[in-house]
Amino acid sequence: MFETLHRYRYHYLMLLPGLILGGMFVFYPIFAACYYALHDWSGFNSDKVFVGFGNFVKLFSDPIFWDAFRRSLIFLLGTVPLQMTISLVLAVLLNNQLLKMSTWFRTMIFLPVVTPVAVIGIIWTFLLSPFNGPVNGLLLDLGIITRPVDFLGSTDTVMPSVIGVYVWKWLGITMIYWLAALQTVPDDVYDSAKLDRCRGAKLVWYIVLPIVLPFAVAITLISAVGALNVFPLIMSMTNGGPFFASEVMEIFIYRTAFATGDGSIPRLGYAAAAGVFFGFVVLSLTIGQAIATRRARAGAKEIRS
Amino acid sequence: MKTQSSGGLSRRAFVLGTTAGLAVSAMGAGRARAQSVPAAINEIPNGATFRWIDSGDQKAVFYKKFFADYAKDRGIEVVYDALPWNEIAQVVPLGVRNNSAHDVFALPQNVNPADAVAQGWVQPYDDFIPNIAEWKAGFPAGAFLPGINEFDGKTYGLPFTSNKRYGTHLLYNKAYMEAAGFDPEDKPLSWSDFREAAKKITEAGQGRYFGFIIGGNQLGRWSQTVRNMGRMAGASAGGDSVIEADIDFRTGDYVFDSDQYIAAIELLIAMQSDGSVFPGIMSMNAPQARAFMPQGAAGMILQGPWNIGGWEGQNPEFDFGVSSGPVPDEGPTGKLTIGQGALAPNTMWLFKGSDLGPIAGDIFHYLGTVEGQTAWANIVGAGDPPIFPEALDGADMSHRSKAILQHFNEVIRVGPNPVVGNSELGKVIGAFQAPEVNFARTVQGLVAGELTGVAQEMKALKDRYNTALDAAFAKAKADGAAVDRADLVFSNWNPDEDFGAADY
Repeated sequence: MFETLHRYRYHYLMLLPGLILGGMFVFYPIFAACYYALHDWSGFNSDKVFVGFGNFVKLFSDPIFWDAFRRSLIFLLGTVPLQMTISLVLAVLLNNQLLKMSTWFRTMIFLPVVTPVAVIGIIWTFLLSPFNGPVNGLLLDLGIITRPVDFLGSTDTVMPSVIGVYVWKWLGITMIYWLAALQTVPDDVYDSAKLDRCRGAKLVWYIVLPIVLPFAVAITLISAVGALNVFPLIMSMTNGGPFFASEVMEIFIYRTAFATGDGSIPRLGYAAAAGVFFGFVVLSLTIGQAIATRRARAGAKEIRS
Repeated sequence: MKTQSSGGLSRRAFVLGTTAGLAVSAMGAGRARAQSVPAAINEIPNGATFRWIDSGDQKAVFYKKFFADYAKDRGIEVVYDALPWNEIAQVVPLGVRNNSAHDVFALPQNVNPADAVAQGWVQPYDDFIPNIAEWKAGFPAGAFLPGINEFDGKTYGLPFTSNKRYGTHLLYNKAYMEAAGFDPEDKPLSWSDFREAAKKITEAGQGRYFGFIIGGNQLGRWSQTVRNMGRMAGASAGGDSVIEADIDFRTGDYVFDSDQYIAAIELLIAMQSDGSVFPGIMSMNAPQARAFMPQGAAGMILQGPWNIGGWEGQNPEFDFGVSSGPVPDEGPTGKLTIGQGALAPNTMWLFKGSDLGPIAGDIFHYLGTVEGQTAWANIVGAGDPPIFPEALDGADMSHRSKAILQHFNEVIRVGPNPVVGNSELGKVIGAFQAPEVNFARTVQGLVAGELTGVAQEMKALKDRYNTALDAAFAKAKADGAAVDRADLVFSNWNPDEDFGAADY
């Protein structure tokens, strides 16, 4: 073993910076969170009491935690299918080189992706404002509504509104993934399809989609994990309110860890337990989708051959 | 005291300086003024970088000018950070944990001083102010209190602003109010007047402006509004800290389900149903809400005196009035109670890891002199009144600031501070875990329509708080504290009178 280490010492040396940074910013926080999750600790003082799985037991009987968990799932289910479908349609349209100004459209659709989330959140708060907000103004002018809608201030409309903004913000990146996937379809497949008079929707549905299916699984995975990381958008738009109505898991964890603004003491241990649980959920989602990707890839190979 | 220019003063410099001084003083309260820097009381480390953090607002106007002058005079750099409370709640604990905290900081609102001392966050500053006993004697009685800012005979917190203020008095657009037919300066609005005025202003606004605005996304606004309206209606809740703010000290019981609190919430719900509340309040915080006032988008807001200096300075064309918060229809039947001592959020603390104690002591000393307090009052005005009453007498303040300070004197009384009675109650405060659906959230939920049935919800809230308080007492006792819920009972308390040191 030492001989191998010596022989590849430069390779290992090259790995070192990555390992150190990964250790500091990825592995250490994971282990620290697992450690804190087993303690009753505010994070402020040295009174750190080992409680074993006590935090998890409390967590599983906390209705506010489950509500936040449910909202995270609703957010995931509300955003990913929308994002995937709309961006696929756009990608298929913009993949056509003959379409005029396709580059311009791609850039415009991609622009929100590179805009900071907090800026997007603040701008949309103004756009959706029931007082002089342009969205309400438009809806009123069109006669769709008779009085302004408090999109972010009503418990009924806050989640659909945030979901809508999220999809708009990240549509561009999903579209780019789809475009990359579409460009892997070999030209001869299109040519063969043309010879068989397979065009338009039929071509997309029966030829293109089966080939890009493995990418679809990967894109879904990326989008799903992204949809569970919505902290800055929700913080800048609603702060989790009104009355918990947009409090997803990350906001729950943050609020519990720092207890900002409501005078109560933080519960870092409890928040860490919620974080660990949530991490496992995301991990299982990832594993599940990795298996699905493998299966889809095997299926796509059969089609190509 | 020495002025910034330590050298001789030429005639030209004198004329220029005097002219500038007169021009600046003519700007009135809330605007930048020429400040002088006091002579140093300690040897100042040359070239040091000294850091200070607090919650800003009108305080920032004073500090930005003062620290610039001070840094120049002392040959050091001063970094002043003004952050909202929710960010202080993160920045300060993380800084302490990493030994990189600001030299002087405001404690996060969920950290009680006893804990900060016990956990080694802060250090005493007795050694950094020569003759500190004499200096402390210059403060009004009750400024320094064991268990609040003194521990084991040492001085930890700088209590330099007065507690005698409240953050939900009425600020209103004069033109709108006049058109609605009310004059709150002449007679405080009753609850019915308040609702009626909001309705009339909204009708007159025809969608361009609304009667009432509140930063509904900032939870504390809901609890403060209901609490203060309830207190002025005679709910007899006292205290400032998280455990006893809504407790009637005569009985030791929470008053969440009192008729006054319930009526105050029902009034807010009724105004919401009338359509006379600014749309979108649930997604705006307090600074956003109050920014709509000078724009003419809302007629009334229940906020604090810190708006006065800000608006007068930044929106001089905005004609606004200040008056008492709404009072019951039969007239004010209760006083507002504050805890004995200085204003806790403005109390400043010296980080234990700081080796710049001499600079902190130098600044603390100045802020605890009549000169420093007057300089403070001249700029901060009624927003964060100085703790020396005589500083207010000599301060140059606008008529609005004077009017609201007079109002504070009329309606505010000093109540018992349970921690003064038993300093071990600090451990209960430290152990208290407020219910997740706390007072502020409950009011927000009721006004937002997410919760229904005010009386039932407030009764349930009271039960939750009692459970949480009992748990905190049990934990503190288990940790060896000699405490009892009876420590929150002061049967001799008269809410209409100040509760003095002899009354404990």
